[in-house]
Amino acid sequence: MGRASGKPPGRPLSDAVRMDVHAPWTWSANPGATVYGETLRKAKQGEWRRWDPRRSKVASGLLRTSGAAERLLPAPGDHVLYLGAGHGTTVSHIHDVVCHGGAPGRVVAVDLSPRCLRDLTRLSHARPGLVPVLGDARRPEAWRAWLPRRASWVFQDVAQAHQASIFTSACERFLVPGGRGLLSLKVESDRGTDADGLRVKVEHELADAGLILEEVIDLEGFEDKHLLFVVGRPPRA
Amino acid sequence: MRLFHDWYVAVLVNEDGVQVDRLRWTGGGGVQGAVERLERVAQARLTPEAAQLLERFPEANVEPVGEGELPEVTAEDLAFLDQAALRLAERGVADAAGDLDRRLEHLHRAMEEVRQASNVRLSRLVEWLGLFLPDLDLDKDRLGTARALGEADDLGGLARHLGLQTPLHLPARSEWRSLRDHGAAAVDVQARLDRLEAALRTLAEAHLPSLSALVGPMLAARLCVGAGGRARLAKLPSSTVQVLGAEKAFFAHLKTGSPPPKHGFLFAHPWVMRSPLWVRGKVARTLAGRCSIAARLDAYEGTPMTAEDVAEVEAKVLAIRAAHPRPPSRKGGR
Ligand SMILES: C[S@@+](CC[C@H](N)C(=O)[O-])C[C@H]1O[C@@H](n2cnc3c(N)ncnc32)[C@H](O)[C@@H]1O
Repeated sequence: MGRASGKPPGRPLSDAVRMDVHAPWTWSANPGATVYGETLRKAKQGEWRRWDPRRSKVASGLLRTSGAAERLLPAPGDHVLYLGAGHGTTVSHIHDVVCHGGAPGRVVAVDLSPRCLRDLTRLSHARPGLVPVLGDARRPEAWRAWLPRRASWVFQDVAQAHQASIFTSACERFLVPGGRGLLSLKVESDRGTDADGLRVKVEHELADAGLILEEVIDLEGFEDKHLLFVVGRPPRA
Repeated sequence: MRLFHDWYVAVLVNEDGVQVDRLRWTGGGGVQGAVERLERVAQARLTPEAAQLLERFPEANVEPVGEGELPEVTAEDLAFLDQAALRLAERGVADAAGDLDRRLEHLHRAMEEVRQASNVRLSRLVEWLGLFLPDLDLDKDRLGTARALGEADDLGGLARHLGLQTPLHLPARSEWRSLRDHGAAAVDVQARLDRLEAALRTLAEAHLPSLSALVGPMLAARLCVGAGGRARLAKLPSSTVQVLGAEKAFFAHLKTGSPPPKHGFLFAHPWVMRSPLWVRGKVARTLAGRCSIAARLDAYEGTPMTAEDVAEVEAKVLAIRAAHPRPPSRKGGR
């Protein structure tokens, strides 16, 4: 946990996010506090939080993407859905982004584990707009009311069977036309299917659901055998 | 006529798709009002607003929540929603303590840790004390030895009390005190272990009455924790229950084709352990089958197994043993 001050890190991706060679940084929506021991850097009117690519698949995706990194992120004021929120590591940075400058963004953060929710609810007290939900990604009927507007960004990281179909139905239900979805998936060869086979299978599932596959980012080196699928939902015709 | 609704609004639409009536929640009841409405829609029950509209138009068809075009939420609605969501999440966290699977798991793991600590202490203790008392039996009643040590005034007195030779060497004063403290601590750890076991038995008998009757509460608890909870245990095929606790051997079998394990945790049961080698697999398979039935009774809270049911299983086990008194002769051998 460091606290250095000086010039802002790296180059800007947006008002809320900067990028140096090793990691992205987000402008903290709750200055003075670290969430998981990340490095803070004081600035004139606030603070940057280092977004550890070894702890967050979105951060490593930002470093690895071959396209424009900023397209992987939501914008200030957006409503977003995060399935498999864990202890809030990545969620806190996404919250920095959508609530940047006091924007009325919302992160609906769903997790199945009460232990994770314990950390998420604590975080939520300090971060209005972070909406913790104790719920099952496979049973959206139970928490869909928590998201009264469609999300412009959906992220899923649940380490579960049938992840791709959970993701496609979440996108169908909750993602606004023109919105973007990110699916983090562990592709490990299973009996019968190898990693490439699994990847192709997921690509087909995404296409069958009418999602447009923009990129598959290999996170190897940050996260073993993990791929990040980036999809777009076509705008309404 | 169709009734569309969500937690904050209810709308009535006629056959031509024209809105006929509509009721909005106006913040009555504050955050609690939002909590109640969210809970209702999550459980597919009508909100007060939807119920009221339905009273006005009883012939209306109630559509599933989230269908149809509803008016947008307002910023005030959203503020209430977020506070209500936080309250519901916190309630869910507090409610996790009502989950006996989680409580059983903590008790079980705590017991395993304390048991290990107790063993480590007692082993160190008898070796240490045995250095001074060469004719002390290091394997017999280690706890009794620890207890006698904890209450002794000095090493000579302890030797006399235990009927052993007078020691040749005596520890220094501070050394003796540390040795004696170690003895008292070993006794204390054992007492804690006893309390943990008693608590685990009580909880297991309440949570897993049938499985506890069949294999005893300790083994029942271990199977339940090993399976990741009661509901999961109930869903496992009995062939998996048979090898729960032998995962390593099982995966080695899949990978290298080594022989599959015949039993895991169930080996600890006397019916399996005290059976001759060549019938253990059969006994474990039978017992695993009954364990699955017991786990399902427990998970779906059916009538628990009785002592007669258990006696019937035991008879079956004895019959298996009786049918195979000798090891099978090897193929082609004599
Ligand atoms: C790898 S962790 C997520 C880490 C998080 N994305 C981050 O970067 O900080 C996976 C999480 O998914 C949750 N999970 C697993 N199955 C789920 C389901 N069906 N619904 C909701 N959450 C689930 C687990 O409780 C766990 O916290």
